[in-house]
Amino acid sequence: MKRLLIANRGEIAVRIIRACKELGVETVAVYSDADRSAPHVAAADRAVRIGPPAPRESYLNVVRLIEAARETGADAVHPGYGFLSERAHFARACEAAGLVFVGPPPDAIERMGSKIGARQLMTAAGVPVVPGETPADQSDSAFAHAAERVGFPILVKPSAGGGGIGMKVVRGPEALPDAIAAARREAKAAFGDDTLYLERLVERPRHVEIQIFADAHGHVVHLFERECSVQRRHQKTIEESPCAALTPVLRARMGEAAVAAARAVGYRNAGTVEFLLEGEGDTARFFFLEMNTRLQVEHPVTECVTGIDLVRTQILVASGEPLPFVQADLSQRGHAIECRVYAEDPAQGFLPQAGPLLVYREPRGPGIRVDSGVVEGGEVSVHYDPMLAKVIVWAETRELARRRAIAALREFAILGIRTNISFMRRILDTPAFVNGTLDTGFLDREGAALASAQERPMPAAVLAAVKSYAVRIPAPPHSRTPASASPDPFTTLRGWRG
Amino acid sequence: MEPLGAGWFLVASGTDRWRIAVADSGDFRWVFCDGQVAEVAVAEAATSSRAPAGLPSRTRARGRSETGVMAPMPATVLALSAVVGQTVSHGDVVIVLEAMKMELPLKAPRDGVVKAIHCATGDLVQPGVNLMEFA
Repeated sequence: MKRLLIANRGEIAVRIIRACKELGVETVAVYSDADRSAPHVAAADRAVRIGPPAPRESYLNVVRLIEAARETGADAVHPGYGFLSERAHFARACEAAGLVFVGPPPDAIERMGSKIGARQLMTAAGVPVVPGETPADQSDSAFAHAAERVGFPILVKPSAGGGGIGMKVVRGPEALPDAIAAARREAKAAFGDDTLYLERLVERPRHVEIQIFADAHGHVVHLFERECSVQRRHQKTIEESPCAALTPVLRARMGEAAVAAARAVGYRNAGTVEFLLEGEGDTARFFFLEMNTRLQVEHPVTECVTGIDLVRTQILVASGEPLPFVQADLSQRGHAIECRVYAEDPAQGFLPQAGPLLVYREPRGPGIRVDSGVVEGGEVSVHYDPMLAKVIVWAETRELARRRAIAALREFAILGIRTNISFMRRILDTPAFVNGTLDTGFLDREGAALASAQERPMPAAVLAAVKSYAVRIPAPPHSRTPASASPDPFTTLRGWRG
Repeated sequence: MEPLGAGWFLVASGTDRWRIAVADSGDFRWVFCDGQVAEVAVAEAATSSRAPAGLPSRTRARGRSETGVMAPMPATVLALSAVVGQTVSHGDVVIVLEAMKMELPLKAPRDGVVKAIHCATGDLVQPGVNLMEFA
């Protein structure tokens, strides 16, 4: 591999370019009109404009991306995450154009992309899935037998349904007949179809995922877990490794299951197998959720605790080299936490913010890593994901990492748009986070209160000094780059304060 | 408050010291101090003593006014749920916008009748522009 085109933007494009520089691989950035002076463009050896700001006309435009690779003589493409990273047709288009796709084979993407297909495949491979069935015979006695096989507590769901209509939680066999009757009535009324489905209810699950890596020579390893239970409406906010709930026995079992999942689809390169985890200790149960056939946003926590550079390894494996490590070489050391800094206003229902970064100063210090795709003076555009940066900290223990994360967030100065930084500090200080008793419902239950919690007031001396200072304080000179002087209408906006 | 360079300032009170970052934006001042961010209104006299050297003063974007609704930020119109002549009640969702992968519902500011609509589904709209007028 001599020249790699990065079909992405933002922090992940910058991250991939860094790995290429270390490997001596030349880099090609692509950009939309909104990203003309973005950091990933400046960091690359070459850059190609691919279209207007709208993603479907730029970062999702397969034809234009392949063209850009041809124009610049690139021989490989890294899709990053999001955008086209899990589109099998993009991987195929790259291969058809003679470009190495830094990711899994297209059919592995496809097979894991189908929820039902993946579930069948995992069952066949012996990977546990959330038990559930739709009895062909919808009689009460058939449901009673199905319920025994699925196991209590059970969720009764209309097959045709959605939105929670007709869903009933049943904790034991004695309550089943009434629940079935009620669910049938509601399903019939809402959907005109009273077919019901039984699924095992996973109570207060943790989201625990296993990083795997496979090469083209038949080697598959896992790089342990990441705990991602701190999420808001399925958007992860804080991730960590190791997971406080895993025992060595359970970790080994989940690792083996993830490797089996990867083997079952003929996987290659980096991937993540997501599980729901119920309970704690050696007897906790885990269920396959889905496989992410790409590099994850939260990959740095794995890099911190294993000492393995996942992006560099991706490039090596895509070049046809064997994995530079075997399972026995891998171990977890210390504890890592990642906090995703979003341009959003928690006090206004997490409304995304767009506008100028008047001041943007990242924290620094021992065990602190910041992966970002923005710079001071840049603009946060309305067109893309509002994630500005990831603060990743590493320390000897979970508690030390938690304190380091809080200290790092306290140092992160962003002015010009509102962010979730202090919201994340409050999360890190909750008893649930301190004790590691997390589940995927944590932020849905406590997030609103944390978002509207009053901060301690800024020192009166500081406020008085700021109010009375009579000189206008412009943004620092290097803030006024050509990007903010451009006629782009997005440079004239700021977050809504209504 | 003493400039330290590059947007940092030192504030002292007795033996207490704070290093803060400050940036002006129109009629208010952003302040960062020990992990907290505040937006402080600045007296007219404080900032008009010099010609503005930084960003121009801007009217704040508002999500709605008494006679219409506006986008809180640049966004794409996902759906219009009212037509001209329709009677709406205060709080009815009349327009759904999408920005940064989030849906933003805009609600009628008061009871009234839709007088005019200045956007269509799929339009990219800017803040500060009336998207729907009410009579």
